[in-house]
Amino acid sequence: MSSVIPRRKTFGVPGYWGRTTHLLGTIAPGILWIVFFLVLPSFYLMSIAFMSNGPYGLPQMPLTLQSFQELAGFGFLGWSPGNLYTLARSLWQTLIATGLVIMIAYPLAYFISTQPSGRRPLMLLIVVVPSWTNQVIRAFGWMNILAPEAPLSNLAASANLIPSEMGLFPSNFAVVLGLVYNFLPFMVLPLYASFERLDTEIVQAAHDLYAKPVNVFRHAILPQTLPGLMAGTVLVSIPAFGMYVIPELLGGGKSMMIGNLVARQFAAASNWPLGAAAALIMILATLGGLLVLRRLGRRLGGGKEVVL
Amino acid sequence: MRRTTFNNGLRAWWYIVLLFLYGPLAIVVLFSFNSTRTYSSFKGFSLEWYAKLFANETIVNAIYNSMSLAIVSSTLATMLGAILGYGMYRYRHLNLGWLIWFIYLPLVMPDIVYGISQMTFFVTINEATGLLEPGLLTMIIAHISFQIPFVALLVYSRLLQLDPLLFEATQDLYATPWQRAWYFIIPTLQAALISSFFLSFTLSIDDFVISFFTAGPESTTLPIFIWSAIKKGITPEINAISTLMIGAVFTAAAISYAIQRAKPVSKPSQQ
Repeated sequence: MSSVIPRRKTFGVPGYWGRTTHLLGTIAPGILWIVFFLVLPSFYLMSIAFMSNGPYGLPQMPLTLQSFQELAGFGFLGWSPGNLYTLARSLWQTLIATGLVIMIAYPLAYFISTQPSGRRPLMLLIVVVPSWTNQVIRAFGWMNILAPEAPLSNLAASANLIPSEMGLFPSNFAVVLGLVYNFLPFMVLPLYASFERLDTEIVQAAHDLYAKPVNVFRHAILPQTLPGLMAGTVLVSIPAFGMYVIPELLGGGKSMMIGNLVARQFAAASNWPLGAAAALIMILATLGGLLVLRRLGRRLGGGKEVVL
Repeated sequence: MRRTTFNNGLRAWWYIVLLFLYGPLAIVVLFSFNSTRTYSSFKGFSLEWYAKLFANETIVNAIYNSMSLAIVSSTLATMLGAILGYGMYRYRHLNLGWLIWFIYLPLVMPDIVYGISQMTFFVTINEATGLLEPGLLTMIIAHISFQIPFVALLVYSRLLQLDPLLFEATQDLYATPWQRAWYFIIPTLQAALISSFFLSFTLSIDDFVISFFTAGPESTTLPIFIWSAIKKGITPEINAISTLMIGAVFTAAAISYAIQRAKPVSKPSQQ
């Protein structure tokens, strides 16, 4: 027993020092873990981007901006656009995939929100569960479907879309398909949250004023679902931009994205500083996206934060 | 009239998307029972590939590695994350908003950057000190870092739904902090802790990229094995092992759904 006289209204832990210890005791272990095993390694990786490339691809002093020049294509053999192509391809595929995901998810999220409320959690679960299976397996499933001689490839070949004997993968098409497949739930969930809160009286008012269906959608529905749409766009586009597995399995050498460029510098090609520079670009893109999400979340004032 | 067409269209769209979502998985499951090696057509039912699976020592080893990795990391992450979530809740009136960045960081970092940063860090430490040699230990550490945020957020949001007066009630009953933890907080959070563990477990089993870059030669997990098997050339054994993993995920999903249904979350603020 600590004390005979009970101390009250200190909310559990007595005294200033007691509370500080309690605060540190609860917050510190988890945060320190993340700081030491994640934040520190990230800063280390970022610092490698400013080092020189050593004889075995390992980083060494002095500090330099050379790896950023290399990333922009300036190598020993003059300028080559390979890396910039990869960067552009990453952006382009991300853009197309995100657009397609929006088109697929929007009606779907609306449909789920119109169902009886008891059924909705199960429907959302059904949409999400495939994304819980391993992404290597999911990509492998698509490899089976898009393989040469598989029904879908034969169909595409007979329509003269691809030369026969060839499968639909590896190709840019397969990569975009894989991205859409992978990230669809990330769009459906926040959109569903928006549709669930939709103020139907505004929609009804628009109908009462004889607005055309197009205008009802544009002025009464779309603005209300914008927060979900924005959150979904960030949740889809950021991880899609950094995707590694899908381009590697479904894309082959010609459909490399920036994630593969990074990985390659730490494996076969071995140029740590160049890989770190590319990784730095990815981190900056991620932080930028996060800032946008935080700001949107605050401005559009959704009480619930949408985090998957 | 137009309304029904519209609704039927939406319903059709739902089924089309379901086909899209489950098609690739169904193909994998179907061909795991195929009696021939081809994967372009189904020739007949057989369990041949499953038999080969369990005769293969590498695969059995990979299953063992995956399970140990998932169980150890989820247990530790549930403990660390729950304590963090509780701290975030109790001190939410302090200005700790910046802490959320540490929570978000592992959630939003691209897997590949995450994995590479772990790898360079572990390799450098290993070269300098001989500690943290790439293997199961480094994988466990890397997994815990991305599991903690999920657990913390789950626990935090569960605590937010509680009536704050309950904490004062334990106060009025002169419970010591340890008594309060043991008799009130842990029982209250039981459902959240169980689902945290299952979520962490799924995340760990699911992960490929981070494991791939932190693994050592002896610590091949199932996804890493599948990856290298695909790279070497497709064999039906991959279908069989993938089917087992798909089955495990669906079972876990069903269990977590059942738990959530059984314990409807009470919201005191709306009573």
